[in-house]
Amino acid sequence: MALLSIKNLSIGYQTKAGMLKAVDNISFELERGRPLGFVGESGCGKTTIGMALMGLLPGNAHILGGTIGFQDQDLTRLNEDQWRRVRGKEIAMIFQAAMNALNPVMRVDEQVIEAIVTHTPDISPDDLGKRINELFDLVEIPRARIKDFPHEYSGGMKQRVIIAMALACNPKLIIADEPTTALDVIVQDQILKEIKAIQKAMNTGLIFISHDIAVVASVCKDICVMYGGQIVEKGTREEVFRNPRHPYTKALLGSYLSLDNELSVVIPDMRETPDLTLESGCCRFAVNCKTCSSACKADTPKWIDISRSHKALCCDETIIRNSHE
Amino acid sequence: MSNPKKYPLIEMKAVTKEYSPRTRFFSKCQNKVLALNSIDFSIEKGEIFGLVGQSGSGKTTCGRLLVRLEEPTSGSICLNGSPVNKLKGVGLKTYRSKVQMIFQDPYQSLNPHLSIAETILEPLVVNGLGTAATRREKVLHTLEIVGLSPADDFYDRYPHQLSGGQRQRVAIARAIVLDPDFIVADEPTSMLDATIAIQLFQLLTQIRKRFDMAFLFITHNLAAANYLCDRIAVIHEGHIVEVNTANNIIQHPEHPYTKRLIQVQPGFDFNG
Amino acid sequence: MQKNHHIQRFLKGWKIFIQNPLGKMGVGILIVFMLMALASFFVPHINPMYDPMTGIDPDIRISTGPSLTHLLGTDNVGRDLFAQLLEGAKVAFIVGLSSAFFSIVIGTVIGMISGYAGGMVDTLLMRVADIIMVMPSLVILLILSSLFGQFNIWIIVFIIAIMRWPAVSRVIRSQTLSLKHRPFIEASRVAGASHLRIIFRHIMPNVLPLAFLYMTFRVTSAILVEAALSFLGFGDPSQVSWGMMLQWVWKSGHMFQAPYWLLPPGISISLLTLSFYMLGRAMDEVLDPRLRKEGQS
Repeated sequence: MALLSIKNLSIGYQTKAGMLKAVDNISFELERGRPLGFVGESGCGKTTIGMALMGLLPGNAHILGGTIGFQDQDLTRLNEDQWRRVRGKEIAMIFQAAMNALNPVMRVDEQVIEAIVTHTPDISPDDLGKRINELFDLVEIPRARIKDFPHEYSGGMKQRVIIAMALACNPKLIIADEPTTALDVIVQDQILKEIKAIQKAMNTGLIFISHDIAVVASVCKDICVMYGGQIVEKGTREEVFRNPRHPYTKALLGSYLSLDNELSVVIPDMRETPDLTLESGCCRFAVNCKTCSSACKADTPKWIDISRSHKALCCDETIIRNSHE
Repeated sequence: MSNPKKYPLIEMKAVTKEYSPRTRFFSKCQNKVLALNSIDFSIEKGEIFGLVGQSGSGKTTCGRLLVRLEEPTSGSICLNGSPVNKLKGVGLKTYRSKVQMIFQDPYQSLNPHLSIAETILEPLVVNGLGTAATRREKVLHTLEIVGLSPADDFYDRYPHQLSGGQRQRVAIARAIVLDPDFIVADEPTSMLDATIAIQLFQLLTQIRKRFDMAFLFITHNLAAANYLCDRIAVIHEGHIVEVNTANNIIQHPEHPYTKRLIQVQPGFDFNG
Repeated sequence: MQKNHHIQRFLKGWKIFIQNPLGKMGVGILIVFMLMALASFFVPHINPMYDPMTGIDPDIRISTGPSLTHLLGTDNVGRDLFAQLLEGAKVAFIVGLSSAFFSIVIGTVIGMISGYAGGMVDTLLMRVADIIMVMPSLVILLILSSLFGQFNIWIIVFIIAIMRWPAVSRVIRSQTLSLKHRPFIEASRVAGASHLRIIFRHIMPNVLPLAFLYMTFRVTSAILVEAALSFLGFGDPSQVSWGMMLQWVWKSGHMFQAPYWLLPPGISISLLTLSFYMLGRAMDEVLDPRLRKEGQS
């Protein structure tokens, strides 16, 4: 049973340059036991999705269509009051450079307490104390340090506090938006292991957003690859990363540098940035695609099935079917 | 300028950099901060040398010392065997024409009020090179080299009209317009997408090949250093812990810190 | 090519500026006063009795109220008040704009040098600025005036400029400090640019908008200082300014008897300073980086 079900969601930003369609007609489902990763580069819309799932879209953003189904509610229809009951309690977020989000003049445990008490004001002091200890144990912060101030913590510890705050009310869904991008590689490794372990232990739904495909691959079981506001390929991580079909996914994988893949690096020739003002129903990658035809620029891309779970978005079926190596 | 065989192009000898609270304020320490502790390494002509470290390791400080944005507290920096850290005036200007820098943030390293042409012309103007006509030619030529084509098109544009990747190409153009011997590239792609970054790496490799330019490639990403560099130095808390060819660093790491760095690189292993 | 860019940016700024209600009002009032100031050149030529300083209506020897020949009436020796008001507008603009301009030039240069150089130079310049800033400019002017006799208007302008540059320099200095370490400045240094070049080619264009903004405030204070000086009797006796008019209405004992004489200069001072203030607030909106589309995306 899907925890989260998004259908045909489109979100636009009203700017002086016109309506920027940051998210264009996307659909996907999230199951509890299977963390879902969103990969893509700047401007692909993945952060906008995260914001929409928290009801934190800025004032000039509008939901242009579609539904977000979560626990018998359509999140696109919630007003601010209703969001307050959901945000933090049912759906929580760990966001990028979150260490800057900690209040420098409040002790760390007080900030987590605040997160708990906001949603469960009647909690008894005993239960509260127990919960705090549980949470800090879960994120592996020594009990002796929970009364410190944020500036006394290292970057990794601050990120752990943010994770603790997100978990404070036992949310059903956690959205992690580039949670380790601002951290050192060694710390990133620890945090990722913790996120995986916590997700398993608490069986929460997890959406993991990142531009780093290896990070996403290490945490998530299912992947959505995004470009210019559209999902261009989705499937299990084995399918998407071992058998990429969409030209963009291949470019992304070809650009990825790991310690032992120098020979398989393929340098893409992608010069243009995606045009977010395009009408719905256009392929946004066409401008950079080396295999597209003139038909691609005019046609509507459609979902092409590669397997039951693996699909790619393209105007031209032959590109997708023939693209495996 | 000839490079006598016995001297490397760039040499850092026992370079130490200390910050005391008056010059730079670090909130944790009341006393002096040792950003670099007796650093030694050398770079040969035409070599791409990687300096890999995490934040706070001192790698950026190294780069800044090499371009004389800051001075070492002790130790010396040599270009072709002659020490440069005490140069002033004309000597400093000559040094500057041979050693340039590419900065990390493409959104901050270009003056928003200057056109692309003015930004790239500046090093030429400041060093009194050429006439207005020859300078214009040089800038157009350099724009073509860095892939901003057609050059005429980009000549009069302003930074805000360019994407991050394009801006960084302008920064590279500015760095190479003086035909320097050595360029310090301080995390030139860490603020760019992977697909753009790899294209810039290709550009840097092409430039090295074409002009026999040496690079110091400063990064926190060991895999990127492995891809781009001939040799790599690993820096941790102000110390160089290991220097070796890129291949050896990855295949036969010796220092425990290097081994740890290699261990934690996320890979596509799909377990768990 | 590049000029186009600057023109475009100016026009963009102008659009934002003129849409702001304060901008509209400020410009409106300013235009009225500018017309008045311009008119002051022509009015005495209509009829010599309209000369603000020396024009005397042969038929009138005392202060009279508004009439057809004298729109605002006359002062106690029969001079036309409206002509005086126009002349006052001219003086206000001259004094306001010139002293503001000089204090901005001095303040900007010192602020940039201080912020960029740092160290002893910075400390020294800022201490001098602090000392000047705490001195009450009006009192200093009064003291100097009583020591050296009544000043020519240009000396007054100059002294006001000297007393007012510190405030500008502080703001420019802090702006310079924040710019000093920006990567594009460092890039220029690495390219070999001299400090002077960096200050005038890179830092100045970035601080100039702020300097202009502060100029509007300086105008306001300059006009007020000159008016106060004149009112107290220390102004330039050969110039008719609004402050001077107020001095005459007071000295001649007509303060409570001739509202047509008292009110126009007083209201004019308030309105003109208000208009510059509004201009400044509207400019603020233009300069606010949040409204900029260029630069950081």
